[in-house]
Amino acid sequence: MGTLDTHAWLADHGDYLFRVARRQLHSDELAEDAVQETLLAALSAQARYAGEASPRTWLTGILKHKIVDQIRRNVREVEIPRDADGEEAVDSLFKQDGHWAELVRPWGNPHTEAELSQLRRVLDECADRLKPVMAQVFSLREVAGMETEEICKELDITPTNCWVLLHRARLFMRQCLELNGFSKAGAA
Amino acid sequence: MKWMATCRETTELASRAMDQRLPFGDRMAMRMHLAICRNCARFDQQLQEMRRLFRVETGADEDVAPGLTAEARQRIATEMQKKLGT
Repeated sequence: MGTLDTHAWLADHGDYLFRVARRQLHSDELAEDAVQETLLAALSAQARYAGEASPRTWLTGILKHKIVDQIRRNVREVEIPRDADGEEAVDSLFKQDGHWAELVRPWGNPHTEAELSQLRRVLDECADRLKPVMAQVFSLREVAGMETEEICKELDITPTNCWVLLHRARLFMRQCLELNGFSKAGAA
Repeated sequence: MKWMATCRETTELASRAMDQRLPFGDRMAMRMHLAICRNCARFDQQLQEMRRLFRVETGADEDVAPGLTAEARQRIATEMQKKLGT
């Protein structure tokens, strides 16, 4: 019986789990690994699944742990940039006196499902373009919802370094969204 | 503490406020600036909007993003089969 259930997991939830993982890991390969680890872990733990949540909710819960594991492993392999890195990119957004160099445009207000899908697609694309370590810190905070203290500990970086990375990632994401037409005036 | 922060400083404060409670002085400096600066007020709103959009998991249901490829699916199925066999 367990065998049947398990095959249904891959067929019914495989794509869903992959998209959730892909969004956080920004890599097809890492996302596939996370899905595989999740399903294998689920096989080992199926005795503990008492049907209290839907299989998808249960599997997604396991996936979140696997994603954090992946990021943790991954981040060890990328170099933590020094504080000065990326400073120029921030400099270009502001004038010497600290004012914005350009107008911050209001965003459109997506209501329809089509508009929301479009926005999510652009969000994912922009997140993929962040520098690896920035993408990881941003994902742990904004997607996985971890506290910055936890993130610092996990990644073994200082709180200051963590905030600098997060702040730059947010500035970059906002600008990327604007450049990709997600603003009222900029919409083609 | 200056009586009011610049735009650049305000974006830093707004960003940090997404992660922790700011000290009183910083909070006041940020609020005063946000009250009179449309650009920074928008920036602050957009930070919150981004968080909302990223935290929502719906969307993983849709077909907009590619799912598992046939090959990936096969690889996973094989691994699961191996595990079940042991």
